[in-house]
Amino acid sequence: MGIVITAAGTAAPTACGAPASTVDLAARAARDCLARAQLSPSAVGILVNVGVYRESNTFEPALAALVQKRIGINLDYIADPEPAAGFSFDLMNGACGVLNAVQAGQALLETGSTERLLITAADVHPGGDARRDPHYPYADLAGALLLERSPDPDAGFGPVRHYSGNGPSDTHGYLDTATMGREGRTTVTVRRSPGHAARRAELAATAVADYAARYGLDLERTCVIGPQAGADVVTGAPVPGAGPDRAAAAGTDAGAAAGTDAGAAAAADAGEPHTAAPVLGYLRALAAPQPRRHDQLLFVTAGAGPTAACVSYRPEAW
Amino acid sequence: MSNTPVTSRIEALGAYLPATRQTTRELSARTPGLGDVDIERITGVAERRVHDPQPGAGEDSFAMALAAARDCLAVSRHEAGDLDVVVSASITRFTDGGRFTFEPSFAGQLARALGARSAIHFDVSNACAGMMTGVHLLDRMIRAGIVRTGMVVSGEQATEVAETAARELTDSYDPQFASLSVGDSAAAVVLDRSTDPADRIHYIELMTCAEYAHLCMGMPSDRSQGIALYTDNKKMHDRERLKLWPRFHGDLLAKNGRDFAAEAFDYVIQHQVGTRFIDYANRTAEAEFGTAMPASLAVVERFGNTATTSHFLTLREHLKAGTARRGAKFLLVPAASGVVTGALSATVTNVGV
Repeated sequence: MGIVITAAGTAAPTACGAPASTVDLAARAARDCLARAQLSPSAVGILVNVGVYRESNTFEPALAALVQKRIGINLDYIADPEPAAGFSFDLMNGACGVLNAVQAGQALLETGSTERLLITAADVHPGGDARRDPHYPYADLAGALLLERSPDPDAGFGPVRHYSGNGPSDTHGYLDTATMGREGRTTVTVRRSPGHAARRAELAATAVADYAARYGLDLERTCVIGPQAGADVVTGAPVPGAGPDRAAAAGTDAGAAAGTDAGAAAAADAGEPHTAAPVLGYLRALAAPQPRRHDQLLFVTAGAGPTAACVSYRPEAW
Repeated sequence: MSNTPVTSRIEALGAYLPATRQTTRELSARTPGLGDVDIERITGVAERRVHDPQPGAGEDSFAMALAAARDCLAVSRHEAGDLDVVVSASITRFTDGGRFTFEPSFAGQLARALGARSAIHFDVSNACAGMMTGVHLLDRMIRAGIVRTGMVVSGEQATEVAETAARELTDSYDPQFASLSVGDSAAAVVLDRSTDPADRIHYIELMTCAEYAHLCMGMPSDRSQGIALYTDNKKMHDRERLKLWPRFHGDLLAKNGRDFAAEAFDYVIQHQVGTRFIDYANRTAEAEFGTAMPASLAVVERFGNTATTSHFLTLREHLKAGTARRGAKFLLVPAASGVVTGALSATVTNVGV
């Protein structure tokens, strides 16, 4: 019995100019998911938020609890007319958060801890608008995935595998509390060392090659969803006759989610998708016509640590 | 192949406590907004440990977490290389120099520093239920066969919020009042597969009642340089909130044809908010379950509210001192912003402490 993605959704800030909020974006992406799956909020047993950057640099409670409240998932065990327990928490591992949450989700779903698990991946600049901080590389953006067990034994995720890169972390995101003064709710620092993108791509490529060899994946039959450059390295792009659609599907660059809510904002040069990138890549891959030779997807993420993660995925319909 | 369901056990417990003690009287003297309010009488906290803020002192959240992890491995049968997963649960993710970290994950950096380079790693943030959430996930990962051995670790530079409260508090009704009861610490726990009912996590179930998610919020202050915690204590610890755990726990037991009295717990460990809170939580549960509570273990008088570490620090301190009996059945009850509650039931016998 596999663990499958029942629905995926995204959300970007609206044009009204209100400060971006992870709670707002995550809740909108989650509602999008639930609407696609035709489910009520109370059908979700566990909510995991993997976003890293958040409004006001809030560190308590879990942003997931605030998202749970906004969506209206099993709010009060005693007061609700039909008591049902919801559970939510934040799980953070930079760009790899969604894949860590998939792995935790596998454990929670396989042990019967819940019937449905919702992952939200929402990042916003603490000041409410990523575009106003030229040093902050990420977009205000959210993605959401709804996971369930599938009766189809051939569908769903494979094992999640993690990889550690050599050397110090290329990316550091932090609030400098020694110098923040009274501006701690609106400032954040993201430092990336020169050459970080190439090293990230190299780590992603190594991870994909190892994963494919370890689990016997035929990369010619695999649509890779991951860091653009990483996928290019893996596929040796441009690979004659094997390139364009795979490269497009692999994209988690700014334009990757064209046609989606999030894509519209990303296209406006708002920054890079961060923890939501795998969700955008997944929607892009499914929106494209399935190339005949592809029979599965491979998610690859890489980021601060340096660390990377991979997981294969076969949609139910494929 | 056996078809017996896989379960987990608490294999080892470790901790780090800064040497510096701060009495509640000392903290009160530094909190002009408090007037003549006696917080020691209200909270039952006589003193707490406070980190040394000097650069290189090794008492930032990360360094304390690393020290607790090493302390835990020193009494574990496992080595760092045996850890399939490292979960960090710190709320206050400070590294040396006062950087509050968002990425890379604390867990990944801790795994590297310990020499567990190939371990799965991620941070969990779930207010004071963080370590409990990490243990919940690790238990499920062990039960699902994804991992065999793992560590949950947390280091809390919690008194940063007390410093802000001491500067900014206007009176005892101030939303930062609860910040005065916190203490610094780190704790770590290793879980692996259980092969004996004498060492087993029987169950761990958690619940978030998000209707109350706004009752305790932590973020940087906008009045002075520091991080702050704003708590609506009255609503947070209202009797109706305290009924959430016994109702939830009682229903879980009833579904399996059991009841609280028949669980025969030897000890209960409540979240270490304060002595009055612990008494009130136990009395509310007695009324709800209709039975007496087991012996209630605490360290809050000496260490204050240590946030994520409180249950595992209490368990470790009492096992180490011999004031809790090995072979006993323990009930750990979280109470955290969110609002998160639930129950962890475990028999603990051959644990390293």
